[in-house]
Amino acid sequence: MEITEKLSPIRKGLLEFVILKIVAGDKVYVADMLKLLGPTEFATQEGTLYPLLSKLRREELVDYEWQESEAGPPRKYYKLTPKGRTQLSTLNDYWKNLNKTLADLGN
Amino acid sequence: MQKVVTISLNGIAYQLEEPGYNQLRTYLERAESRLQDSPDRNEVMADLEQAVGEKCRAVLGPHKTVVNSAEVDRIIMEMGPVESADEKEKAAGATGDAAAGMGAGAQSSGPPPRKRLFQIREGAMWMGVCNGIAAYLNVDVTWIRLAFVLLTIFSSGLWFVTYLVLMFVVPVAHTPEDRAAAFGMPFNTEELISRAKKNFEEFGDKYRWRREWRRQQRHFNRQFRHMNEQMRVATANVQPFIHNSARGIGMVFLPIAALLSAALVVAFILSLFSLVTSHTVFGWALPHGIPLWVGIVALVMLYIAISTPVRMIRHGGQQSAGYHPGWGAFHGLLWIGFVALLFWVSYTYFPGVREVVDSLMWAANLTVSTITETIV
Repeated sequence: MEITEKLSPIRKGLLEFVILKIVAGDKVYVADMLKLLGPTEFATQEGTLYPLLSKLRREELVDYEWQESEAGPPRKYYKLTPKGRTQLSTLNDYWKNLNKTLADLGN
Repeated sequence: MQKVVTISLNGIAYQLEEPGYNQLRTYLERAESRLQDSPDRNEVMADLEQAVGEKCRAVLGPHKTVVNSAEVDRIIMEMGPVESADEKEKAAGATGDAAAGMGAGAQSSGPPPRKRLFQIREGAMWMGVCNGIAAYLNVDVTWIRLAFVLLTIFSSGLWFVTYLVLMFVVPVAHTPEDRAAAFGMPFNTEELISRAKKNFEEFGDKYRWRREWRRQQRHFNRQFRHMNEQMRVATANVQPFIHNSARGIGMVFLPIAALLSAALVVAFILSLFSLVTSHTVFGWALPHGIPLWVGIVALVMLYIAISTPVRMIRHGGQQSAGYHPGWGAFHGLLWIGFVALLFWVSYTYFPGVREVVDSLMWAANLTVSTITETIV
């Protein structure tokens, strides 16, 4: 099995973390998220992203606002909620610990 | 020239070429069924529609007002398959529990993996239908092949039609995931037809088509020879019995038997289509948890069981009445007449039947147009 294929569940599981990180910056539109992730290991598609964002919104980690666009109907711009910010910092800490554990193992 | 369908995505109208429209409709219907249990279903569907609309807008301009099928295909590719975020979480949780060895209690909380019926071309004798069924039922493929051959013989070839239908309806396992996956396919008419269309298009590939056709002919010839021989042996055994019992009946019962057999054929075809389109047979619904194909198999077997004695009586009656070509032709015409009459009566007087026939006509139309497109 390819290494990338082996690690695909990990990437899938991390997608939520990645999205929270992106949304933490500026208000973003889904097409921009996809463009941002496109060249990375976390490249994904609308079919995956929209259900995930709706779930995050239901869990009150992100929220969106409507913004007019010059081409077509208004668009949803996503941003992080305070609850989402707390969750993101927890995830950040967890990820750092995980990295440390990985680095320390076998030394 | 292409027919254009106007659709509304989140309140804005777009014009799509008809095949593209069908693709998109299937995509969105599939997405909706995937999100069936998600509380965010309506919201996600609106988001998806808007995203599709935006992608459509990107390919349109002042001198281009229609989104063509290739563009729709590309848009669907870009969108990617829709997965419910909750479902994914559940699946991840289940595998996590299993990996951690949390014990039977934790494992049983996750839904058991559902099987899917596929055609498996690897190691297949012909198209892999039997192979797929064997994998699904977890039995040796030889038994399934034997069952198919026997059923074909006993149904004097009718069962072979079932194989052909399965060949177009059952999806082909292309990826290792497919092969590992199990039965539980969403089975609405739209999916069924689009799958049949897709399989047919693949089948329409010129060289492959020819090769498959030659193989099919060889296979059919072989089977036909075998079948004939079996039939001869079988009729030789039952001949004296039929001869005695049918001697007196002969000509009086022949038209009645023809009517009976015509009624059986009509009832069989109507119930088969009613089963496929609405999962009910004359108001009787398939019990929950029984997959559609089991229902179809049961129905075909029931038909064979009921129609075989009738056919034997007709056959025996013709023999005892002294067979000659004109007589046989007369009864053939009588039978066709009965079938047509019964179809007309049921179409006229039973609204349920009309629905079935109309949806059947729709499907036939779609198939014919697909075939024409593939050839042209």
